[in-house]
Amino acid sequence: MAVAEAAAHRVHRHLPAPWWRGKAGAAVLVVIAMLIAFLGWRNHWAWPAALTWDSLSPYLDRFQVWLSDNRNLPHPNVVFRVFNGFASFLDDLVSWLTSLFHKLRWSGTSTLGTLVVLRFGGRRAALGTLLAFASFAALGLWEESIETFALMFSAVGLSLAVGVPLGVLAGRSSRFNRTITPVLDAMQIVPAFAYLMPVVILFSVGPGAAVVTTMIYAVPPAIRITALGIRGVPANTVEAATALGATRWQVLAKVQLPLARRMLLLSVNQTILFALSMVVIAGLIGGAGLGDAVTNGLYTDPARAVLAGAAIVIMAIALDRATEAMANRTDPARRHLTAEKSHALRLFTVACTAAVGLAVGLGYAFHAGAAWARWTAQDWLRQYIQHALDYIQNPGTFLFRDLTNPTGNYIVEHGIQPLRTFFIETPWPATYLGLVVLAFLISGRRPALVTALMLGLVGVIGEWATAMDTFSQVLVATLLTVIVGFVLGVWAAESRTVARILRPINDVLQTLPQLVYIIPFIYLMPVSGVPGVVASVLYASPVMIRLVQRGIEGVSADTVEAATSFGATRFQVLLKVKIPQARDAIMLGVNQAIIMVLAVVVIGGLVGSGALGYEVAQGLQRNAFGQGVIASLAILALGIALDRVTQGRGAARARSET
Amino acid sequence: MRGRKLAAIVGALAIAAVAVMVAGPAGARSTASSASCGTVTLNEQAWAGSTANTYVAKAVLEQMGCKVKITQIAEIPVYQALADGKSDAVLEDWQHVAQYKQYITKQHTVVMGGPNGVIGHIGWYIPTYLMKAHPAFKTWAGLKGQESLFKSPESGSQGMFLGGDPSYVQKDQQLIQALGLNFKFVSVGAEPAQVARWSSLYKQHKPVIFYWYTPQFLNTEYQLSEVKLPARFKGCQDDAKSGGGVKQYRCAYDNTIIEKVFSKKFATSGSPAYPVLKRFKWSNEDQEIVAKWIAGDHMDPDKAGQKWVKQNKAKVAKWLGK
Repeated sequence: MAVAEAAAHRVHRHLPAPWWRGKAGAAVLVVIAMLIAFLGWRNHWAWPAALTWDSLSPYLDRFQVWLSDNRNLPHPNVVFRVFNGFASFLDDLVSWLTSLFHKLRWSGTSTLGTLVVLRFGGRRAALGTLLAFASFAALGLWEESIETFALMFSAVGLSLAVGVPLGVLAGRSSRFNRTITPVLDAMQIVPAFAYLMPVVILFSVGPGAAVVTTMIYAVPPAIRITALGIRGVPANTVEAATALGATRWQVLAKVQLPLARRMLLLSVNQTILFALSMVVIAGLIGGAGLGDAVTNGLYTDPARAVLAGAAIVIMAIALDRATEAMANRTDPARRHLTAEKSHALRLFTVACTAAVGLAVGLGYAFHAGAAWARWTAQDWLRQYIQHALDYIQNPGTFLFRDLTNPTGNYIVEHGIQPLRTFFIETPWPATYLGLVVLAFLISGRRPALVTALMLGLVGVIGEWATAMDTFSQVLVATLLTVIVGFVLGVWAAESRTVARILRPINDVLQTLPQLVYIIPFIYLMPVSGVPGVVASVLYASPVMIRLVQRGIEGVSADTVEAATSFGATRFQVLLKVKIPQARDAIMLGVNQAIIMVLAVVVIGGLVGSGALGYEVAQGLQRNAFGQGVIASLAILALGIALDRVTQGRGAARARSET
Repeated sequence: MRGRKLAAIVGALAIAAVAVMVAGPAGARSTASSASCGTVTLNEQAWAGSTANTYVAKAVLEQMGCKVKITQIAEIPVYQALADGKSDAVLEDWQHVAQYKQYITKQHTVVMGGPNGVIGHIGWYIPTYLMKAHPAFKTWAGLKGQESLFKSPESGSQGMFLGGDPSYVQKDQQLIQALGLNFKFVSVGAEPAQVARWSSLYKQHKPVIFYWYTPQFLNTEYQLSEVKLPARFKGCQDDAKSGGGVKQYRCAYDNTIIEKVFSKKFATSGSPAYPVLKRFKWSNEDQEIVAKWIAGDHMDPDKAGQKWVKQNKAKVAKWLGK
């Protein structure tokens, strides 16, 4: 019904007016006006000092000094002692877990992990877990992997303990949901580099601080997905339960939570993946483990950094598959336990426990180390990776000389540089007005208002030029991501084989630390800006691919059949039916892609994109807290504006269609 | 049927497990803790030079019977770690003056450990082959008018000056302006990325001018020459973060005395490791060679540390106070 109406609408709107009379035409006019301003008054209007409030940064710096001074007094205030106590609790928790795994010996640890997955997740997932343990051993990174696992286990557990109740609350109260959304946006967009130092001052360094930092990033998805799940429970079911006299708690415990089960498990799964993407940052403040191996490897031994990155990916994929399998296997809606079956399961549990005991015992009997340290394939693997790196680092090869180097230079000379110059040197009132009007044309009044506010904020805190620099690079990266993601997403939806090939690639790209996959590109396209753009595209494409694929696969078979029966070719069906129908999913993909691109801005700063990312990174490394926070605020402002503008369109259509 | 079979397996496993558990611990060796020195925690920074001095110190302390733990915390956060006693010592600190003021002078939670003997030097460097082709580049004035030689895709018509890692002390943007050179300051990010950029140009024998420093193990691998900058004057600044006009930056970088810093808790603990680390002192050449073993030849850091200790008994004896 709604679809038919919308289609009728579109026909109605599009037929009489040619495109240049519509919004597209207006947008072109705006761009032309901006270009005229650029050509006529280039470099004449920088953001005026009178409109800049520059005392924020020193104020923030003084705050940090004050924090540090009071925290490090011989007898600090009770508030600091509370933070300290919490930090030591977390430290103890992580080191207790680590030493537990040590006590179990490597034999016991791997048996325990594998059998837990076998018991609850089935054979396939257990095999995956076993292989993961084997590869940690083979990579020669057993100890590091165990440390990282202990850290992640604590961080994920605590994130869920905080996130799920808040998510339930957000799912039940839309007022609470509205209040908390901007906070969650901030937690996800503000780069960790900006708040690392205050976290360290309050929680000191070590696993505790690493857990806190990880939680800041991993709690939002837990809250969001849980809330989505609770809201997804049909209202009439809740009403029926209430009518039967259930109390609020009973409705929650017996109706809402069980029905939102799948979403809750998805939130566990996503929390794990988000937490794992913080491993490298956690390493900077004493999180140890694989994160350290990546950072230090980059300077002294890139091949080792690659291996550590591989271990992180393996851990992420194994945990992802294991939690997914356990979620499916233990779904009460799907399994039907007979008395005999549950008896067998109970015996199986006992057998597993005994097997773990046996493995631990054998470990001690044969002097197995706390960590696997016998044979590893590390040196052998390192040699191969080093060969590959040597090839990449050699500027005389065909690959570099004729392929990647010219491509990189072309992107800079004809894409990044002109766009950057345009945004930085156009008089600011023209850019400001132009962007606000464009926001209005794309998605309406409210998003335009948000854009106006956010751009104003960026200017006032004195980041106009740097933010425009970053914005131009974000545009290039988003454009490339949308192209790549759209093409591959459509292709994956149309072809099983492509989908099967893409899934593991997407998993790897989402979990491999960006600093690792950026290594080849800093050698192959050594020109500032390009490695940053590549990192953004590689990181953001998987989301776009997945959403486009899901959107196209979700088009109802009836519609497709109807089109086919009218004699449409496969290509016509795709172009005229499937893609237009999947527009909302595609727009959501664009929206998510932008957010992901912004998440990589700091990494970009570390590999030559300059601008806001550079300032944030420098903020931590050169002890310029204020500078880091302000640059992060600018990133956040850009993120909120871009998010509202790209979301606005979907929301507007959703409103008009219902 | 199935249940009984399973039960049998369980029984057998359980018995085996108990038997092994009883026998196991008896067989496990117990390692006696070795010395009164206990555990010393050293913090290693990301670059190879720091790895070198940290692992040499580790080898010496282990010889004394200490246990050594190594943490890898970033440069600024490590001060909080020292204040809390979570890390005992940093053996290579590039003059973090703001932190000295805050943690050492004001809070008394960190103490200076004296210089580690290495003299850091920052400057503008070009490949030696370029210096040979253009002897005028010996001083900055020779660069004037020749900037376009250093053109790159991102610098337009100007020459490219390749900036250093954003976390390092620098003032190149100000220097370029103060010297009136037609360079565009280009940052390619963290040190590995910067090395990638200039080493690639070096291998292609192309012109490049960049922020660089000694001691650095790559200096043993690549032939680099320094461009002389204007002489230092009183009040001349090196860190662009200190603000002010560009005039006050118009001089060469000062030599940096690399310091050691210790946790106050460690310094007052009476640990026998403290006086040894306090006496720890070596030279740029020492540090470069060990760093090259580790980062250039991919030697295991522990082995590299032990190798140097074995080869330099006299220096080590001095640290040990013999």
